[in-house]
Amino acid sequence: MRQGAARMWWRCAQFPLLALALVFVLTGASSRAARTLRIWGHQGQEGENHAMREIVVAFNRAHAAEGVSVEISFFPDFQYTEKIAIAAAAHDLPDAFEVDAPLIARYVDAGLLAPLDRWFGPADQTDFLPTLTEQAKIAGKLYSVAAYDSALVLYYDRAMLAAAGVAPPPADGWTWEEFLAACAKVRAAGVEPVALHMNESADEWFTYAFTPVVWSGGGKLIADDGLRVRGVLASAANIRSLTLWQTLFTRGFAATDPVDPNPFGHGKAAMDWSGHWMAQLHLEAKGAQLGAAPLPHVGAQPVAPCGSWCWSMSAHTKDPELAATWLRWVTSTQHGIVPLVRANGAVPARKSAFGEFPKYQRPPYALFRRQLETFARPRPQTPFYATLTQHFAAALRDIARGADVGGRLRMAENEIQKEIDRRSAHGSREAAR
Amino acid sequence: MTAWEKSRARAAPWFLLPALALLAVFVVWPMVRAAAWSFTSADLLAPERAHWLGAANYSELLTDARFRRAFGNTALFALMVVPVQTVVAFFLALWVNRPEPAWRWLRAVFFIPVIVSTPVLAVLWTLLYQPAQGEQMGLINAMVQAIGVPPQAWLRDPHLALPAIAFMSVWQGVGLQMMVFLAGLQAVPGELLEAARIDGAGAWGRVRHVIIPSVRNTIVFVVTVTTVLAFRIFVQPYLMTRGGPGRSTLSLIQSIYETTFLGQDLGRACAASFLFLIWVAFLTLLQRWIAGEERG
Repeated sequence: MRQGAARMWWRCAQFPLLALALVFVLTGASSRAARTLRIWGHQGQEGENHAMREIVVAFNRAHAAEGVSVEISFFPDFQYTEKIAIAAAAHDLPDAFEVDAPLIARYVDAGLLAPLDRWFGPADQTDFLPTLTEQAKIAGKLYSVAAYDSALVLYYDRAMLAAAGVAPPPADGWTWEEFLAACAKVRAAGVEPVALHMNESADEWFTYAFTPVVWSGGGKLIADDGLRVRGVLASAANIRSLTLWQTLFTRGFAATDPVDPNPFGHGKAAMDWSGHWMAQLHLEAKGAQLGAAPLPHVGAQPVAPCGSWCWSMSAHTKDPELAATWLRWVTSTQHGIVPLVRANGAVPARKSAFGEFPKYQRPPYALFRRQLETFARPRPQTPFYATLTQHFAAALRDIARGADVGGRLRMAENEIQKEIDRRSAHGSREAAR
Repeated sequence: MTAWEKSRARAAPWFLLPALALLAVFVVWPMVRAAAWSFTSADLLAPERAHWLGAANYSELLTDARFRRAFGNTALFALMVVPVQTVVAFFLALWVNRPEPAWRWLRAVFFIPVIVSTPVLAVLWTLLYQPAQGEQMGLINAMVQAIGVPPQAWLRDPHLALPAIAFMSVWQGVGLQMMVFLAGLQAVPGELLEAARIDGAGAWGRVRHVIIPSVRNTIVFVVTVTTVLAFRIFVQPYLMTRGGPGRSTLSLIQSIYETTFLGQDLGRACAASFLFLIWVAFLTLLQRWIAGEERG
């Protein structure tokens, strides 16, 4: 009877035991043979993802002899930040991952990112566009690198402006008075003056696209310490700048709820407040009629935004050398920048890479490069960026729909400051900066 | 107790164990963790960097203008939706409660919005509510204009946005409650209706004195479920207005979601979730208590 039970037990258990033994053998063998780096990227357009997968394949091929490989996972844009947050909470961050530029300060504050200066020295740092290093440097240390940056300009249709009797903007762009006067003439000619893409669902569009209006008027969203908006966001200068911006809607120069995502390309609007991502499409639609100028400015000088997806290294990676090897690969001109920029049309991150792209000699691309090297500014570095952009974008939406500019900015200012004060008082941010 | 019964009693815990273990791991433990976090300043990106705050998260939430507004909006939304949706669903169910096949089609028509995905409907209704003049004007403004009311900026007017979303939600949800009422109506004894008719009760009399008492439990169920669902409103205002204009359509769930993933303030988000849980549990118990009392 006993013996029978034992035999029975063995008969049931032998397969699981064998399988377990096999797993031990296999994992033991594989962990000796190869090192695998986990990386995460945002899911962009299909072409961009394809290019990224090809870059990974090329990296793995080049490093096969060393037994090193990279494993990439993509997550959709709108879930990406949540995914990072959950992984950080669970101590399950990948070795290297993409971050959205304005969130770098927050991740550094939470201790998620490793400084990269060891692997990207002065030679690299001066080769990157100044906007990228400025955005990525916190307390003097570099926390991210990138393969590309972004640019935002005012596209215009020469023929449509001429038909309305408007001369094209000068090389440094119009002032707001000139811009509004031009809009009035275009409107009088029966054409929608400018597309501002107010139906964009992401908050970030508003902060990215319209903070330059605030900057050009001499204002800021938040003080340089990244901890104070009171008296900064609802300043007299900002109220003046955003009142000018509101004029676009009150005078019917721009739609508050556009239905067409590309009215400029479809010949319904004479100007387009839009980014590098539309350049190719607009060139195809307009040819020589396409013009591009810096954004209209409240003060004397134009200002442009910048920033896009960057690459960072987890502070907790077990293999920083390998992670750095990947970061060097994906931000090198040959292996990373050329294929990615060909796929997504963004602005190359390295000055030395522009030689690979002859079109950067011509408009509108030449303007992208010029503004990133001279008058573009990164969005504010603050651990409270998410709160800031959320409330600022909500304020812009309401201002476009006719809210009182001063009152609405003060409301946003109060909400943001309360959040900053509360969290600072609770000491959730210790020894942050 | 026989030997067999004894061995059965001994075996019982082992059969319960898997279910209890799963419950403990996936329900009890996360709740305990969340409860613990709700008393700290835990940061979503670095939860271990938490300081004990006592009840500060709770007391701050109760006085926080944004959270209170979110609660007020959600309660107002429930007050608009629950009575209307229940009454309309009840009368729709009465109306379509006929055996002929043609009525089955009508039931399906009322039920369709329930199965269509909410984000799709949110986009559709945003277009329907479009305030612009001319060719871009939404259907709803075209309709109100036809009856002599000037077109409104439905989703942009702080006073109209929440009622507009409530209207859309009733339209979307009423089919489900109608189906529940239909099931309840099947249980109304035909003899009772027959007897009431012979006794001279009119249509309204039969509804009032026969049908409503017979479907009392269904009504309690529908009101409870609709209330809980109404308090969980999120997708429609999030997609249609982002909680705006101002804070006029900010829902409780949106405020908790934003605290978690935008503010990344885990402690406060946990506290808000517990307040929400306590409130919904209280409402459910209250409704059961009222219903039970009336029945007795």
